[in-house]
Amino acid sequence: MAIAEELAALRERTLADIAAAGDLEALDAVRVAVLGKAGSLTGYLRSMGSVAPEERAFVGKAVNAARVEVEEALASAKATLEAAALAAAIDAGAVDVTLPGRAQQMGTRHLINGIVDEISDIFMGLGYKVVEGTEIETDYYNFTALNAPADHPSRSMQDTFYVRDLSGDAARVRGESDVLLRTQTSGVQVHTMEDWDLPIYMIAPGKVYRRDVADPSHLPQFHQVEGLVIDKGITFGDLKGTLDYMCKQLFGTERKTRFRAHYFPFTEPSAEVDVSCAVCHGEGCRMCKHTGWLEILGCGMVDPNVLSMSGIDAEVYSGFAFGMGVERIACLKYDVPDLRMLLEGDMRFLRQF
Amino acid sequence: MKVSLKWLSEYTQVPGDLKAFCDKLDLTGTGVEGVEQTGEAFEGVVVGHVLTCKPHPDSDHMSVVTVDVGAGEPVQIVCGAPNIAADILVPVACVGAVLPGDFKIKKSKLRGVVSCGMCCSQRELGLGSDHSGIWILPEDTAVGTPIAEVIGSGDTVLDLEITPNRPDCLSMVGMAREVGAMYQQPVAYPLAADVAKLAAVTAGEDVAASVTVDVADPERCCRYTARVIDNVKVGPSPDWLAERVSAAGGRPINNVVDVTNYILYLYGQPLHAFDYDLLADEDGQVRIIVRGATEGESLTTLDEEQRTLTEDMTVIATPRRAVALAGVMGGLETEVTEATTTVLLEAADFCNGRTSRTSRNLKLISESSMRYERGVDENLTELVSQAAAALLAEVSGGTVRPGVVDVYGAPAAARALTFRIGRFNAMMGADIPADFIEDILVRLGCAVEATDDADVLAVSAPTFRPDLEREIDLYEEVLRLWGMDRIPPTLPGGRERVGARTPEQETLRTLNDTLRASGLNETMTYSFAEPGDIERLRLPAEGLGLAVELLNPLNADQSVMRQSIIPGLLRSVAYNQSRSVKNIQLYEIGTVFSAADGRKKAKERKKLAGVLAGAMGDDGWNVRPVPFDFFDGKGVLENIARELACPKVRFKALTAEEAPHLQPGRAAEIMADGASLGWIGEIHPLVVEAFGATAPVVAFELDVSGLVRVARSARPYVDVPTYPAVAMDQAFVVGEDVTHEKMLQVMTSAGGKLLESVALFDVYRDEERVGAGKKSVAYSFVYRAPDRTLTSEEVEKVHAKLVSKVEKATGAEIRA
Repeated sequence: MAIAEELAALRERTLADIAAAGDLEALDAVRVAVLGKAGSLTGYLRSMGSVAPEERAFVGKAVNAARVEVEEALASAKATLEAAALAAAIDAGAVDVTLPGRAQQMGTRHLINGIVDEISDIFMGLGYKVVEGTEIETDYYNFTALNAPADHPSRSMQDTFYVRDLSGDAARVRGESDVLLRTQTSGVQVHTMEDWDLPIYMIAPGKVYRRDVADPSHLPQFHQVEGLVIDKGITFGDLKGTLDYMCKQLFGTERKTRFRAHYFPFTEPSAEVDVSCAVCHGEGCRMCKHTGWLEILGCGMVDPNVLSMSGIDAEVYSGFAFGMGVERIACLKYDVPDLRMLLEGDMRFLRQF
Repeated sequence: MKVSLKWLSEYTQVPGDLKAFCDKLDLTGTGVEGVEQTGEAFEGVVVGHVLTCKPHPDSDHMSVVTVDVGAGEPVQIVCGAPNIAADILVPVACVGAVLPGDFKIKKSKLRGVVSCGMCCSQRELGLGSDHSGIWILPEDTAVGTPIAEVIGSGDTVLDLEITPNRPDCLSMVGMAREVGAMYQQPVAYPLAADVAKLAAVTAGEDVAASVTVDVADPERCCRYTARVIDNVKVGPSPDWLAERVSAAGGRPINNVVDVTNYILYLYGQPLHAFDYDLLADEDGQVRIIVRGATEGESLTTLDEEQRTLTEDMTVIATPRRAVALAGVMGGLETEVTEATTTVLLEAADFCNGRTSRTSRNLKLISESSMRYERGVDENLTELVSQAAAALLAEVSGGTVRPGVVDVYGAPAAARALTFRIGRFNAMMGADIPADFIEDILVRLGCAVEATDDADVLAVSAPTFRPDLEREIDLYEEVLRLWGMDRIPPTLPGGRERVGARTPEQETLRTLNDTLRASGLNETMTYSFAEPGDIERLRLPAEGLGLAVELLNPLNADQSVMRQSIIPGLLRSVAYNQSRSVKNIQLYEIGTVFSAADGRKKAKERKKLAGVLAGAMGDDGWNVRPVPFDFFDGKGVLENIARELACPKVRFKALTAEEAPHLQPGRAAEIMADGASLGWIGEIHPLVVEAFGATAPVVAFELDVSGLVRVARSARPYVDVPTYPAVAMDQAFVVGEDVTHEKMLQVMTSAGGKLLESVALFDVYRDEERVGAGKKSVAYSFVYRAPDRTLTSEEVEKVHAKLVSKVEKATGAEIRA
């Protein structure tokens, strides 16, 4: 039974070679040498024809058994080697996870517009629309229709930027003009009252201008958000509830508000609204000038004169209006030391927000 | 408005808890801007008992004393006063005290002798003018008592912000009324008693015999009264008067001026005292004319400034000259001096608006102008004049001529208003009782009567409250004194409202999101511009209109409104670069302005502008950002076009003539649906330099309304492919003049339905391998059929046709 011995020897040798194969390449060489087209075990299968017929069954069986055994050994060795290779690759692929990532650089929203967005979202959630107007306005819409007295100091050349009127109309007061850079966004409210159907629930964010030389706490151009509600049965309590909600959304639910009686020509009764100081929680500190409160907006019930001027019956409808300076809110939220930074376009400032 | 609580407490009870009082003032509409304790100035000054007094060993006029100051060991003090002696009580400023004038008391040596404090005269304590020697205190004063207690000068002065609608609060009487209403406390008004004193000091000939007043224009002056006080001795005021004037923030000058100021602080009625003799004509008659100033008229005011007047200002004049600027300040020439013996006392009411404009235009704000600006009660003018004349006579030893010259056109009447209690409570969202309402209105000076309707009160508003014109004004009074904090917060219950963005707002939101996602940082620049900005930018003026000109700019380089955002952004680029910030990616969405002849309001257009300089970040361990060029800007615009789903977007090259502000060859117009949206390019290097920045700077400026017009809210759905695609790559060598756009046109039309997409993946130039003036452009083609798997024969046939069409149409050669 020389064949049987040969096969046994081949099997032994092959299994030993498989065990000895150090990598997938060596293993494959063993496979080719034994099971390949010219492989040694394949040779036995091919030479079956020359085996004596009575031995064929036996030899065939033995050859197949050897082949199955070798294939299994090959598969198992291959799996082991592959696992080892993967483990090695994983080891080699380890990185320092504290290295910076690779990302498309994102841009940033300007601090002021970010706050305008926040306020707009709060009021849109309350069912308000956001309305914009023009930055150049006539004296009528900026002052007169808002009940500002004809000689109100805010109308002076010192406080308001006037624009050359190319229509040929003469100015009412020397040096002034009928056209100006709006000093408040309230004119938008007047246009809204004239143009919209009632009820009105709106806010008007926008850029406004006052004749202040730029310094750390003043800018000749800044932003306001003003709001207007006109409906039947609107109360001062509604004004309080609305602004209290807004302040809590904007500054934090733990903050308190207080309403101080004040005077504005556009509203009657009028109030200024303070939020409790975030630093001292009302105890008094440097931030709030030892009052415990930070002034945040002006508001009031819409003056009946303003309603009538826009053709709204003040006996049937009532409403409230409010206005706040966005830069002031920015300062309170972020402690910006110098307002001029908002207009310089310094990348190191802009990219913080 | 400075309010001495000591003074105020003469008329109404002032609460003891100062913090609570200030809070209540704040909440009811009188802002407390400052609290000053005037007694503090005397901290460290106590009553001392002089134990011993010896001459200074090294001086013939100084003494060395030991003083018991009530605490610790007696202190040694060197004193130079002639009246110092043993066993007297004197004010002693101990070491550490600070006397008026910021004079700090320190331990020192005077000619070799240690001195630990100072014995004080009245003047040194700021209490009077006596500086003849040490102030010797009464014998029954307790040693060690703070001097503030001895003299009773401890006072609290509030600095109050009075809103423009409350002229009545610019007086002590008005503040007493306000505080009385705040606490529902009684108020004792002093006017009647002050007026009653006049009879006793009246003497001489009726004032009408020597004084006439002519008010040329009642619109400028609705009431003018004059009284004359004879035999006046001008001198220092009595202490109580000087103290009052000081407490109110004034500076005691002399008894006449101090009386006018005192009465102004007390009643809110501005007064002016003229030297009668300097006012009188040669015949001894005074002829006062209240008239408009003549253009260019000159007047030297009390502050010794020569003022040039304009027609809309009002002056008090004699037939010869102007003597005072009505409502603002008196003239220097007719000022009361020590030589004055006869005083003409003016109490008048001048037009609010003119006074306010005059003082603003002259930058001269006085206690008078402040009050006239807000409104003075003309009904009280004459009564206050009586009180003032009586007091003036009293403190100056003079007599008041009987009668008054009083030019008063139409007396102001109290306004009759109604107050509907039910409507008030409905509008406030409150339930404030009727008796509270009535009580508050009465305390504020209104007359209140019931009407047939129990819900309605008839209210008569006093003339000193010009702000109470309508029912709503009364609501405000009651609400603020009831307390806004007592109104429960609610939310409007309206049904017909929804919050929503307009299509433009939606587009702007997408635009902002896209720009940020593209790595750009939003900024803001000034809306103001320098007149030459557009020329400096070399931007074609066509379509920009005229610049909007400011009549009163803050400075020359901000004297017009911008017509483009780019100059502002280029300045920001320069700002960053000069601070070694190299990588700049900025955008702004803002308004630009264009005026036109004959048009009142200039046109405003919203623009989107952006600038890129440097690269998208610094070199990192795993990234090497490429320096920005034209295509980074174009990429941003492509993102925008994609996000807004703009149809038929194309970039058209701009020539140097069309876009002189851009670097030729790197300039394009962006079009959508056949309309121009704006431009993009690299700013011309010379323009960049003109703005102080360093090139290259990529920039674009688009018209937002154009974007809004072409933006589509949604893109149509396209089936996700189910059959496999066949990809082919092909490089062509073409002339430099053959654009990518041209290639695309030929390829897409030749590829037909089976060509799904074409992408350019390489552009290659090499004189030797590709040829001079030529470029190799390599495209990757994807062929796919929506309904079947394509065979390779089909694809090859289409592709071959495409290649040959490209060859024919562009002169391209196939590159192996």
